Formats: sequence, C-alpha cells, structure tokens
Amino acid sequence: MFVAGNGAFLDSTGASYGFGLKKDRLNQMLVLPRLVMVDVAVIGAGQTKYGNHQLGLKGMWAEAAENAFASVDQDFDPRQVDEAFIGSVAFGGGQLGNTAALLTEHSGMEGVPVRRVENACASSGFALRDAWMAIKSGQADVVVAGGIEKMNDLSPERKRFWLGVSGDTEWERLAGLTFPGTYALMARRHFHEHRSTHDDLVHISVKNHMHGFENQQAHLQKQVSFEKAASGFMVADPLTLYDCCPTSDGASCVILAADHVVRQFTDDPVWLRSSGAGSDRLALHDRPSITQLVATQKASKSAYSAAGITATDVDLAEVHDCFTVAEMIATEDLGFAESGQGGMFARDGRGIRNEGSVCINPSGGLKSKGHPLGATGTGQAVEVFKQLRGSVESERQVRDAQIGITHNVGGSGATCAVHVFGRDRNE
Amino acid sequence: MSDSSQWKGYLISYSNDSLLLQSPYIHNDCTVYGPDSDSTTMAVAGIQYLQNQGHHITAIHLTESIDAKVIFMSTSVDSPQRNEELPTATVDWQVIEGEEATLVLSQSDAEHFEFDEPTGTEIMDDDLFNDMNAAWEHECSKQHVSQGAYVSQSQYLEGGTARLSLASQSFEGQIIWPPRQMDSSGNRLPREEGLLSDRATVESWTKLSAAGAPSEFSLRAPILGGIQTLLVKFDEGPRGVFLVCDDVDYSPTIGDQVEFGVRRIYAQEGLIRYGLKAIPSLN
Repeated sequence: MFVAGNGAFLDSTGASYGFGLKKDRLNQMLVLPRLVMVDVAVIGAGQTKYGNHQLGLKGMWAEAAENAFASVDQDFDPRQVDEAFIGSVAFGGGQLGNTAALLTEHSGMEGVPVRRVENACASSGFALRDAWMAIKSGQADVVVAGGIEKMNDLSPERKRFWLGVSGDTEWERLAGLTFPGTYALMARRHFHEHRSTHDDLVHISVKNHMHGFENQQAHLQKQVSFEKAASGFMVADPLTLYDCCPTSDGASCVILAADHVVRQFTDDPVWLRSSGAGSDRLALHDRPSITQLVATQKASKSAYSAAGITATDVDLAEVHDCFTVAEMIATEDLGFAESGQGGMFARDGRGIRNEGSVCINPSGGLKSKGHPLGATGTGQAVEVFKQLRGSVESERQVRDAQIGITHNVGGSGATCAVHVFGRDRNE
Repeated sequence: MSDSSQWKGYLISYSNDSLLLQSPYIHNDCTVYGPDSDSTTMAVAGIQYLQNQGHHITAIHLTESIDAKVIFMSTSVDSPQRNEELPTATVDWQVIEGEEATLVLSQSDAEHFEFDEPTGTEIMDDDLFNDMNAAWEHECSKQHVSQGAYVSQSQYLEGGTARLSLASQSFEGQIIWPPRQMDSSGNRLPREEGLLSDRATVESWTKLSAAGAPSEFSLRAPILGGIQTLLVKFDEGPRGVFLVCDDVDYSPTIGDQVEFGVRRIYAQEGLIRYGLKAIPSLN
C-alpha cells in the first residue's frame, strides 16, 4: 500500500476498489498532493486493416475497438474505461464536431468523458500522450487512446483540399504548396546540403514495401523493386509516387492502464515508458533549417531522457514516413544516424528488419501500411505493442525486441510526439 | 526617344516622365496578357518602375478594370477608386489602358503619346492562350465554388501589404517577414514599417505535377503542366515560398537570384487573389 499526502491511501493494485468508489477517491485526491508516480502499461491494442474501406466511421472504429478489447488477455469491459482520447483530422468535414462522442457511443463506452484530439497527422500520437498523462496524473486508471480517418470517399478535389489544411494556409497554400511540395523542398535542400540523393529515398521506399508486404493490416501489401521505385511518376519533383504514402481509411485503438490495475487485465503488459512531444513553427519558411525537424528532436530527447535510454537502445521504431524524405530526416533527428547521414543510413540498409542496427518501420510504415491521418499515431503503437509481445506475423517479427518507439509528426513538422515502449518498466 | 527594356516580366518604354508597359505576348497579331497577368498586375509593375525612377507618386487615377486595393497594398499609392475622399489635387498621375494588353502611366493629359516600340515580344501558343483564358473565366465566375484552400477575404487583406509589397517588421535588429504577432517573451511585435529588398536567392524548389497541385490550381495546373514553387532567402534574412510566374520558362537551380512581381494567384468567390511571384533575375 502506498501512502499519499494528507493521509490519503492508494492501493497498489486498485483491485479492492469499485470503479465508482475509485472515481470518488480520485476526485478527493484532486486537492491532495500526490506522492506516487504511476507507471503506465498498454494492455490491449487493435486496428482495422488500412486501405479503402466500405465501412463508415462508426463501423471502422467499432472494428478497431473490438480488436483492441479482444487483445486484452483477461475479459475487458469497455465500461471500465475512465477517459477516452480519439485523434482525427475529421477529414472531409463530415463529422467535424463531436467525432469522439459518436465513436465511443458506438463502442460500449457511452458516458465516458471523451474528446477529439486534433494535431494534423500527429492527432492520435497526441491522443496517446494525453491518455498517458491522464493516468500519470492520477485522474484515471484505464484510458483509451485511438484514432480514425476516412479519406477515400471524397472527390479528388475535396481530397486535395483536405490534404492541405494542416499547412500554413495563408502563406504556403497561396504559393501552391501542399505536403508533397513542402517535403519535396526539404528533400532537394537535403540533397544540396548533405549530398544525399534520390536513390537514398528509393532504398527507404523499397525497404518499407518489403516490411509491409507481410503485414496483413497494410494498405499496400506489395514489394517494389529498386528500378520501379526509382522511376515512378513525378508527383513533386524530386519526389515520385513511390516516395509518397497512400491516403488510407482506417482506425486504431490502444488501451492503457495504471500499474496498480494492470494485473486485472494481463500478466504480459507492454510498458509505455515515456512520452515526449515538441512543436515548431508551422510554415517551412519560418524555420532556420528545413533539413531537420526541431519538434522531433525535442520530442525524442524528452522521451529518451524520461525512459532512461539512448537511441542505441531502441530495437524497432515506427517512424513517420509520410514521404520517404521524412524517414531519412527522422533517422537523424531520432539519433539513429548522425546529422546529414540519413541518406547513408538508408543506403547501407541499417533500418532493415533483423539486418540493420534498428528496425525502422517494421509495419511497412506510412508508405506501405498506409496513412489514415488521425489513426496513424495509435496505429504505430499497435504495431510496437504487438512486436514487443511477439504477436505479429512470425515472418516479420523483430528478433529479441525489448524497446520500441513511435514517432508521429503533424504536418511538415509543426508537431511531434515520440513514445518509448518497453518489455520492462523504467528502472 | 525613349528607353526600352524589360521590367518585372513586362516590356517597358519610358519617355518624358511617361511610361508605356506592354505584355510581351503576341497572339493572332494582338498583344495579350500572359497566363497570370492582367491590367492590375501591370499597373503595379508600372507604378513600381516609376517609384524606382525616383517619382514620388501619392495618388493615381485608375481604370475600372484595375483593383485599387491591390494597387494600394502593393505600392502605397492611393486612388479615387479606393478612396472617394481623396483630394483631386493630389491625383497627379493616371493610368490609360490600351485596347490590347498595354498601359500608359503619365502625368500628362495628352491624348497621344510617342514611345519606341518595345522589343522582346514572343508568340503565345494558341492552346495555352485559349485554355488559360477559359480557365480564368471559369475560376473568376461567382458560380465557381473552389474546393481550394479557404483564405477568407479578411485574412487575405490582413496580410495583403506584406504579401504584395514585402512589408516587414523590424525588432531588436532582426527583420521579420512574413509578419509575426509576438516575440518569445510574449511582447507584441511592431507593425510592418520597412520593405524587404526585391531580390532573393533560391534555397530549394519543386515542381508539383498537375495531380499534386492544390485544388485551387486544379483548372490551370494541367494547362501549365504543373506549378513551380521556390523557397527563397531574402538578402535581409527572412525566407519565403513563392510560385514562379506562370509565363516564365524557367528551370531553377539552388543559388539562383530571383526578383518578384505581383501576379494573379487564384480566384475564389469571384475575387482574384493577387500575390508576389518569382521572376528569374535578369542581372
């Protein structure tokens, strides 16, 4: 039994408290100093397959939630959820308001305090962070973080509009830029400053398609040859079709629990050891450098420090590769390669599963697995959860995986969330 | 005799404190506007040329087809078309619009002006001319509802001076552009006072395919074979992103010098949004 301030008591398992009672106790504790630092575990995670779905928002979310509930080792009752955070850009605007309330209503979580979290493509990365903070703060014991996006039921014109809403509308859009354009500017500058080449990006594309080929949840389950990827249709010079992720429909759901209630649900949790986040100026032209993402550097530094690890400890990383150049830059910003050496890292195959120093995007990444904007961040967490528990398809299991991270970026780097997961808790 | 040369993508002839501007494009033996030009963009260029020559222009009488707000935001030159209370005595310049894509800016009341024939015209492709005109006509109609980025009129006008004239802020020795609201201590920054120089260096560039271009360009990007955007750094330090003038055949290289001219960007709700576009520097 832990002792909190002013005589308040906190059971180390939480099992002896009913949920109603526990909430009353937590409400009382709002005014009491908390002395106990709670650890946070992932007890379940699931998603839909990414791709072109016939299902609508409610159907996709129900499927992801159902898969997450089913992945919990013990019976899981959604009424046990204290809070829910659901990331979504609400692409298309069809359910722009109260998205999250609609979804929880249709997944057994009626009445649970819920909100939509919006941070562009990093929406559910930040939903996960918010969920983690809710438990760390002692306000909740069981929290759902998820994400959803329906992107492929719009006309091409509407889709292109929505794909650009997360940039600096007033300045970048009037200069003709959507994200393929902004990332193309970053790529060309990286080539210029660091002598990287488009071939380096092709290596990333080929690797991620190879990783995603065996992933049953991936949008693009197909291998791509170097020659084919090198000669793709030019989307935004120098980026070709094979440098760009697809627009996907999909939903993902992760269930977190405080350490004192974990054993109610599983004996095999994955620990969410830390959460780091950062932000940067929205427009590319307002940043001192466009060949690094300061938000990623801040987020990873904070997350690594809190987890007591360095980049060399990481076995696998789900990295935000909305464009191949984004992965090249991320390998530098996350500390896997020296600054400016991301191209060489890719060329040397250092991110290939069970061959390189760290497996980058074992799921296939956004490039192959797909990128349903709001669902991507928690979708990355689903992959890391399964990898660390050894429950992915055997042919794509990262060997001896102990530590995995997720890296979720909003826009061209205005926001970023990095999470560290481990088989073990923080020491 | 007059001096004949090029200025911001237009042909000019300057004589006796009067200025002739002419589009370089010829179609069916007529002078026609380029894909992103009109009388407003040419009038801006003309006023800027005269200011560059040392003329202090307070106000100018514009024609109906010229957007007086854009002229004011681009050049700080007022007009009776924008400001009905403007004293007539202050309006000592006028714009005279020719039948073809030609303007004269003058202080004279003369009905006849003599300029040297500007040189440097080029024939405009028939398909390009017809397709672009049709695209703009469709885009400018109020019935056309663009699915493009929604930059409201008030938002467009709020940033208009910075967008059209490169008006910049100055704070603690730093030049800031585009304008920002607060510094890192939470203090409000001063309003724009100075202007950036009209020259910048290309730091990166891309050409978006028609399929990848934002939807507000969806009518014209296929005709142009895509749209080109530059990331540039001004001599004073700030960076910006700019479209390349649609009518310029230009393959950028990092390190190139560019200058800027006001051009049409796109139309929404029947209103043309103007902005600066990059023009490869002739010098």
